[in-house]
Parts: sequence; C-alpha cells; structure tokens
Amino acid sequence: MSRQLKGRGEEADGGARGRARSGSPGTGDRSGRRPSRKQAPRAEGAAAGRRGAQPGQKERAGGSPRPGSPRRKQAERRRHGEELGEQGRSSTERTCEGRRKRDGRASLKEQRAPPKKEKEVPRKEEMWKRPKKHRSPSLASRPSGVESLSEEELAQILEQVEDKKKLIATMRNKPWPMARKLRELREAQEFVEKYEGALGKGKGKRLYACKMLIAKKWVKFKRDFHNFKTQCIPWEMKIKDIESHFGSSVASYFIFLRWMYGVNLVLFGLIFGLVIIPEVLMGVPYGSIPRKTVPRAEEEKAMDFSVLWDFEGYIKYSALFYGYYNNQRTIGWLRYRLPMAYFMVGVSVFGYSLMIVIRSMASNTQGSASEGESANFTFSFKMFTSWDYLIGNSETADNKYASITTSFKESIVDEQESNKEENIHLTRFLRVLANFLIICCLCGSGYLIYFVVKRSQEFSKMQNVSWYERNEVEIVMSLLGMFCPPLFETIAALENYHPRIGLKWQLGRIFALFLGNLYTFLLALMDDVHLKLSNEETIKNITHWTLFNYYNASGWNESVPRPPLHPADVPRGSCWETAVGIEFMRLTVSDMLVTYITILLGDFLRACFVRFMNYCWCWDLEAGFPSYAEFDISGNVLGLIFNQGMIWMGSFYAPGLVGINVLRLLTSMYFQCWAVMSSNVPHERVFKASRSNNFYMGLLLLVLFLSLLPVAYTIMSLPPSFDCGPFSGKNRMYDVIQETIENDFPAFLGKIFAFLANPGLIIPAILLMFLAIYYLNSVSKSLSRANAQLRKKIQALREVEKSHKSVKGRTTVQDSEDTAKDTSKNATQHQLTKE
Amino acid sequence: DPKRCSCVYFEVDLNPTCRLLGGSASLLRLYHRFRALDRNKKGYLSRVDLQQIGALAVNPLGERIIDSFFPDGNLRVDFPGFVRVLAHFRPVDDDDSGMRDPKQPEPLNSRMNKLRFVFQLYDLDRDGKISRHEMLQVLRLMVGVQVTEEQLESITDRTVQEADEDGDGAVSFLEFTKSLEKMDIEQKMSIRILK
Repeated sequence: MSRQLKGRGEEADGGARGRARSGSPGTGDRSGRRPSRKQAPRAEGAAAGRRGAQPGQKERAGGSPRPGSPRRKQAERRRHGEELGEQGRSSTERTCEGRRKRDGRASLKEQRAPPKKEKEVPRKEEMWKRPKKHRSPSLASRPSGVESLSEEELAQILEQVEDKKKLIATMRNKPWPMARKLRELREAQEFVEKYEGALGKGKGKRLYACKMLIAKKWVKFKRDFHNFKTQCIPWEMKIKDIESHFGSSVASYFIFLRWMYGVNLVLFGLIFGLVIIPEVLMGVPYGSIPRKTVPRAEEEKAMDFSVLWDFEGYIKYSALFYGYYNNQRTIGWLRYRLPMAYFMVGVSVFGYSLMIVIRSMASNTQGSASEGESANFTFSFKMFTSWDYLIGNSETADNKYASITTSFKESIVDEQESNKEENIHLTRFLRVLANFLIICCLCGSGYLIYFVVKRSQEFSKMQNVSWYERNEVEIVMSLLGMFCPPLFETIAALENYHPRIGLKWQLGRIFALFLGNLYTFLLALMDDVHLKLSNEETIKNITHWTLFNYYNASGWNESVPRPPLHPADVPRGSCWETAVGIEFMRLTVSDMLVTYITILLGDFLRACFVRFMNYCWCWDLEAGFPSYAEFDISGNVLGLIFNQGMIWMGSFYAPGLVGINVLRLLTSMYFQCWAVMSSNVPHERVFKASRSNNFYMGLLLLVLFLSLLPVAYTIMSLPPSFDCGPFSGKNRMYDVIQETIENDFPAFLGKIFAFLANPGLIIPAILLMFLAIYYLNSVSKSLSRANAQLRKKIQALREVEKSHKSVKGRTTVQDSEDTAKDTSKNATQHQLTKE
Repeated sequence: DPKRCSCVYFEVDLNPTCRLLGGSASLLRLYHRFRALDRNKKGYLSRVDLQQIGALAVNPLGERIIDSFFPDGNLRVDFPGFVRVLAHFRPVDDDDSGMRDPKQPEPLNSRMNKLRFVFQLYDLDRDGKISRHEMLQVLRLMVGVQVTEEQLESITDRTVQEADEDGDGAVSFLEFTKSLEKMDIEQKMSIRILK
C-alpha cells in the first residue's frame, strides 16, 4: 500500500522529468541547455493534467495551444510584433485560420488524448525503467489514426476502463486521505462514463457519437462566438489595416482615439441620462421662466444661423448649457432632485475619468514589466527574425523592407549615440540656446493669447463687431497650435538629441504650449467672470426694482391683479457659467474645424498636388521637396489630449459639450482613417508604440488634474449666478449637498456627515493617506531596485559565461558541433530508411 | 477514405510521409496544393514553380527557402520531398512532447529542427556556421541599397559580437539557438494545413 503511494508521488516527478528529457535534443545541442521556460510549464501542466485529466483536456479543446503562461507569451508576441511592424494583421489572420481548423481536430484530440494520459497512470514505474516498449506502439499508431480509433487504441481504452472499474471497486481499501479518494473516484467515474460508450456497440456507441457531435458543435460555436466578439470591436479592421500599412505607432494613435471615444461615451451616458434627459422630460418647459426664455432684445435674431453658430440665441437658452436649469429642488412626478444630480454628475465625471486613466496606466505598466529581457540579442533578433514570411503583397513587402531598414538604422543610431564623443561645450551651448529660444516662443505665444482675450472682452462690450473680431481668440490659438510645433522642431534640430529623447522633448514642449495657451485663456476668462460677478449686484437691484415698479406702477386698477411680467422682459444677470460654457463650446468646435481643414489642405490637397502634378513638373515631387505628408502622431495625440482637457473643464458648465465631443471623435475616426490611408506615407522613424503609450496616458492624467483645478476653484469659491442655473440662490454650489443631507436624510446621518467634515478628522485622514503613499512608494522603489539588480546580475552572469567560453577555446565547441552534426545525420538517415 | 486515396495517387507507400504530417487529411490537402503548384502536371516541382508563389517572390530570403526544397543540387522535388520540407512547419502538438521515445529521431517539427531549418537559410555553404560574410549577404538582401556599406558592416559586426560566444567570428548553430532562446519558434514556425 505504501509502495503504491510512493509510486504515485514518483510518478508525477518522473513524468515531469521524462518530459523534460524527451524534449531535449535528439539532433543537436549536447549541452542540454534548452529554453527551459518553455519546458517547465509544460511539464507542470502535464503533471497537473494527469491529476485532473478532464479539465486539462477541455482547456485544450477550447483552443489554448499550449499550457504555458499566456500573459508572458502575449507580451513576447506583442514585443515581437512591434519589432516587426506589420506582423500584427497577418498573424491574427493566421491564428484565425488556425483556430477554424483546429475546430475539427479538437474533438478528435479529445477523444484520443485521455487514453494516453490514463495509460500512464498504472504503469508509470515500469515506464520509467523501459519507456520504449510501452510508448512506441502508441506513437506509431497515433499520427496515422487520426480519423478513427484503431483497434489497438480501442483495446487500450477497454483495458483502462477495466482498470478504472477495478479502482472504483477497491477504492475503499486504499490508504489515501479522503479528499484524494473522492477526487480519484470522481475522475474514474467520469472516465468510465465517457469511454464506455465508445466501446459499446449499438445504442451506446450512437449515444457516444451523438455526444461527440454535440461537443464538436459546442466548440465550433464557442469559436464562432469568439470571432463574432472580435468583429464587434469597433473599427478593429480599420485599425488593423492602418497598422499593416503604417506600423504600430500610427495605429497606437487610433487605438488611443478609440479608447477616448469609449470614455467619452460613458461620460455622455452619465450626463445625458442623469441631467439632460430628466430636465427635458420633467423640467419646467421652455418659455415659462426668465432663465428659460430668450430675452426680448435678442429675440429677433435668435434663430439666425450666424447667431446659432456662435452658440447664442436659442442654443444658449437650451438644456445644453448650465443657465437653463432651474433651482427647484425636485422636478416632475418622480421628484427627481435635479440640482443634486447635476452636482453629483459633475463630480463623478471627474471621478470616473481619473479612475479609468489610472487603471489603464497601471495595466500598461504591468504589461511592460516583462520587457527588457530581449535587450541581449537586439541585433540577432532583427537579423534572423524580422521578416514576416506571410507577406505576399508586394506593397506590404516594400513597407516591410522600409521598416526593417529603419529599425536597423535606429539601432545603429542607438549604438553610435552610446559611444559618441563630441564637443560637449558646443552641444551644451546649443541646447541652452535652443531652450532659451523655445521659452521665448512660449512666453510670446502666452502673452499673445492674453492680449487677444483682453481685446475680445473689449469687443464683447461693443456692438457691431466683425466676424474676425468675434472669433479672434479661437483663430489666434489655432494658428499658434499650427505653427509653433514645426518651429519647435526646427529649433530642436540645434540640440542634437537622440531622436527618441528629442521626440519626448518635442512632446513636452508642445504640451507646454497647449497648456500655457489653455491657462492664459482660463485666466483671461476668470477676469471676465470676476467682472461679471461684480456687476451682478447692480443687476440684481435692477431686476428687483423693475419687478417692484411693474407691480406697483401707478395707473393700474388696484383691484385686478396685474398679469405677471412676460419672462422675456425680465432683466437678468449675465450668467457667467453659461458664458464659460459657450466659450468652451466654441473652442471645441473651432478646434475640430481647424483640424479637419488642416487635414484637407495639408494632407489631402498636398497629396493630390504631388500625385498629379508630378507628370508635368521640373523635379520629382514625390521623392523631392514637398513629397507626401507623414502622419503626425505626437501632434494628433496631444491635440486629442488637449481637447479632452477642454471637455473636462467645460462639461460642468455646458452639459451638451460631451455630446459634441462624441460626435467629433466619431467623425474624426472615419475622417482621419480615410485621410491616413489616402494621403499619408509611412514614417521614416519607427518608434515603439507601447512604451510611449503610457507617456500619453501620463500627459492625459496631468491634463485631467490641471483641468480639475479651475472647475474645483469655481465650485468651491465663486458664488453661483443669482438668476440662472441649478444652484441659483445659494451661496456656494456645494451647498446643495448640505441641503440634501438636511432635508432628505435622517438627522443622525447629518450629524455623522458633520463629524466627517470636521477638520480634526480630515487632516489626520489626509496625513494617513500621505503616509500610505510614502510607504507604497518606497516599497515599489525598493522592489524596482531589486529588479534592476537582478537584471544586472543576469547580464553579468552572461558576460562571465561568454568570456569563460571564449577562453576555453574552440576545441570543446568543435566537439559539440561534431556530435550535433552526427546526430542530425543520424536523424536524416533514420528518415531515409523509413522512407 | 482519404488515406487510401493518397496511396492510390502515388502507388507508393506514403505512410512515413503521412506520419510526418500527422494526418492523412492534411496530406491530401497538401497534395492538392502540390498539384496546383505543378503547372504542367509533370509530377514534380521545379524552381520556377515555387517562384510563382507570391509570398516567396517578395521575400528577400525567398531564393534560400526555395533552395531548401532542393537539397544536394537536385532540380526537381517530388511530393514526399515537398512534404518533408513542409513537415518542419507542422505545429507542435501539446501531447507530443511527453510521449516521444528518446531513441527515435526527433520529429521534424521539433523546436530544434525548426531552428535548424532557419539556420540553413542563413548558412550558405552549409559548414555549420554563419560567417560574417554570409550574414552580410543576407543583410544586403533584407535592407537593399538604402543603408551604406559601412553601416551594414557595423550591423554585422554587432550581430556577430552579440551572438558569438567562443570568439571565432562566426555564429554556430549552438550560438544561434541561444540567441533565439526567447523566440517563440514553435508558434511562429507553424502552419496549420487546412482540411
């Protein structure tokens, strides 16, 4: 009994070893140093698979090709895909095909594989001693007997079924722990149930066949469903198409765009579902109160297109903007607390965005942890594996040539950069100069915007301003955004940085430009808001007096109450919130238009010109000066991030802004896809997409944080307008929470909240948070340091090994080479004799 | 019965060939492919037949791959030979690895043999080593004229330096396998033959 137990333990061990050994080379490589990574999991998987043969089987039938760790493989594949540029599409196609095909085989495998596994169980010990005798028959019969079970296999299964039955009968007597007994019993029963049918004649066999058919169909259905799911990913094919032509770096922009679209869709659902639709359905209708009516003075022009285009007129007094909402505590028969909902949605827009950005950043970091392993053999990898053998299209092949060339060029640049000795003083001087120039540019553009915004405030007071004067701010900002980046790039040429570092600097500078612009714009806007706030008191008095005079005017019959003043005639404040919302709305729209026009003129018309004028031009336009445009990844990504920042800032004051943005992202997905495919050429400089992706996310996080600040400031420290918006009449916007707690919650909850809001509790909580951050940060730092050290150790080990080998000289290597050759010759001879 | 079928076609014992591919269905499929490539129905393939495959025509190493179909300077390859080359690309079955008899020759689709196949593409003179010269030639095929000779040489030097462990200035098969240790060859060099 104890012998059996021991045998069982040994069997797992032996199985693993057997596998490892049999995997080791029959043809070459005497050193026995084989990719151990591949082997170990498989051996484990096999050992585990024996204990739970059925689950393992199912998994394989489900299509997982190998029980290796999937994430690692994925990472590796992705890395490889990056190196190869266009492999992505073809390899997915390949796996698709492979899967479709595997369908058919899976069921057969399922039917065939268990016997083999099970057969090992009772005979492991003998097998370890003389493996050949027992293994060879199955080996010989297996490959040829794919279509049906051979006689021999049937006999084997029969034997095993008998074994299992015997095991079930004698289970009671085994000296095993109960858990194991139960497990074994269940396994044995399952096995018997499964294979008894296969052996029987007539009904049993038909039942078995039916079962197999259903299993097959099920696998096929799962596969189809998986394919269907892949097809359901929006724009997947478009992006793959672009990736195959332009490499993963350009595709990364479109993936980012798609991600952004998803985030905006959620925000859109939040705002529309919880704010706009309830207001439209249940709120007081248009024209009933002053804030929901176009004033008398604007009424005439309120429907003109030029007015609507500026988001004035009827659009201004619609649910798209803050001012339209009423400060009623509850609306409609649902008693929906709209002001509360408005506030909470405004907060949760930021909350959700923060969460999603940070989560995707974290997942990106996890994915990139396994990178850096391949640093040892960059050139070998490129040399031996860069061609994608599935490329059959000559255009794609040309692209591939180009990408291989560029990747080699890049590696050379890296190499040269690492051992470059230059005039350090000159370089330093040039870099300082370049930075100085760029800072000058940034300051200049910042001042220009400030100046223009100031001027626009003047214009807004005047009547009869021209179209240019009205849109000066937007035009100037768009022009700056168009011309500064190329200027920066020109200046950056002075610096002589490595291209990758140069790109990051470039990104940082454009980001600073955008941010500076945005913040100057915000400051000017804030001035405007303060101006309006200071006027508010007088307007409030005017309103009061108008109403007072209206009702107490002389010459009216005192006995009949006067009809209420028409809402359009009531004088009202300037409602700074709506003004801010309109400003963001305009900026978003003009930004979108400028982007589209730039693409049309700069890319499409240029491409048309180059393409068609090339026939009758003095020099080669395609290869020479204008040539075709490249896709500007950094500019586009930053534009997207910047735009998103405006959405975040503006959505509190213009709930409709997110809707506009969703439309914008949708159109720009199609438009830019088309523009890229029709009028751009692939990049000269291949840069790794996945690494810079987190850089983009970092920028996005920064923008999110920065756009949170002004909104939080206005909510916390500015009084809302007295006659518009859901918070009118309150001292501060956040008072709505207090109000809700007081009126709608039981008293003790109010007390609890009051306790929580106590500074004596908040400050320790913040301190605690800081401590936690500090602790986690130091832990992660030490871990990463340990990681780096380990990596260094591996590197050092490799170096030592290398030098050791080269010292040892050629003789040993020659020996091993010879033996390798011998074995390979043997192998071929074997093949020949078999033939 | 497809198995019978394939035997009738050739009137030879195709069982070993069959075994190479792991199934007669794929063999049949492959045979159809073979016949499609064989334009004049001559019963064997010549270099020209293979050169018309699009993916090989655009492949910088296409000629080398075609070479590997014609070992020992033959000018024609018959169906068994064709299958023997393609058997390298058979996917590795999960359940294969443990069950193999160590005394038997390693199947053609093992990792080592896949690697050896690739190695031979680079090893022009078949001396078991990829010399600097051979590498330079391949590189020239791969990047064309857009890179200067000097840069090409520096790339080659770097590659040799990276992979070379015994300091003989060439990459042996052993060193080759080592440098591609991380590569998922089993996955990448697998073609599933549709049924």
